[in-house]
Amino acid sequence: MEVWEVFQQKSHSDPFVHVGAVTAPDVDMAMSYAKECFFRRADGIDLWVAKRSEVHQIRDPHLLDQVTDKSYRFPEAYRGVVEKREAAKARAAGLK
Amino acid sequence: MNRHEEVLFALADDELIMGHRHSEWTGWAPHIEEDIAFSSIAQDEIGHANLFFKLLAEITGKTPDELALGRQPHEYRNAIICERPNGDWAYTLARHFLYEAAEKIRLEALQDSSHQPLADVCEKLLREEVYHQMHADSWFRRLTLGHDEGRAIFSNALSIALPDAQGLFDPVAEADLRDLWIEGLTGRFDEAGLSVEFVENRPVPRGEHSDDFKALWDDLTRTYREEPAATW
Repeated sequence: MEVWEVFQQKSHSDPFVHVGAVTAPDVDMAMSYAKECFFRRADGIDLWVAKRSEVHQIRDPHLLDQVTDKSYRFPEAYRGVVEKREAAKARAAGLK
Repeated sequence: MNRHEEVLFALADDELIMGHRHSEWTGWAPHIEEDIAFSSIAQDEIGHANLFFKLLAEITGKTPDELALGRQPHEYRNAIICERPNGDWAYTLARHFLYEAAEKIRLEALQDSSHQPLADVCEKLLREEVYHQMHADSWFRRLTLGHDEGRAIFSNALSIALPDAQGLFDPVAEADLRDLWIEGLTGRFDEAGLSVEFVENRPVPRGEHSDDFKALWDDLTRTYREEPAATW
């Protein structure tokens, strides 16, 4: 028996989302169980299963840490840019 | 009862009683995913029975509940295979496999019925039955390609279920459909290298029941009988 990860797509405009896992001996059974466990109440339009053993985890999750200041990668960092630019323009004009 | 009603009662009662037997596995199936899957199939079968009872309701003037739950044991017209106790998981799967194979052939034939409402119901049910067959087929493959022990137990269960299962075709379909079913099964058995002997027999006629049916009926109809006029 193997563990199969189950992915569900709710509608054509939605991405596939991981919803859980089932234990099954082969792909047919995995599909069957995934359908019954996660699609019992008209829950979606498409279904993927993938062997857990074929899903690879990053070796060192610490690689995901934000070690240095990365605030410039967030939109919040760019709040007030227009005002700052206008202020800078005004300062430059005053210097002439 | 005319022939059309006989056919409808046979179809409805097969689904109802088969669904009930399957539902007895809820909480007991070999593992949690299978428990959910098999319980869901049980619910589907009872849903299918409901569609046939609705057709009968129009003819008889009774409600589907009255028809499904308000009859006396001798009035039920299921084939004997449906009421046999579940026994073990191998017998349950063997019966499931034979039943689904028969049902596919019956429904495909009835899709061409001159009675349009029946043809429509059969067309609808076939879409759901495809999935039941996938489930039954998966188990058939697992058990026949697997270890010798499981294979022997499953093969024996098929031999036990096969004589009773022949009753599924009477009076629903002509004899040539039963032959088609046997041909399909023989092909599958040969392919899997099973030596399941096909013995020609005269199955218990519909309307006759085994001693096990009384307990099933008791269980199935108990709540309804408490207060038949109650609305749910």
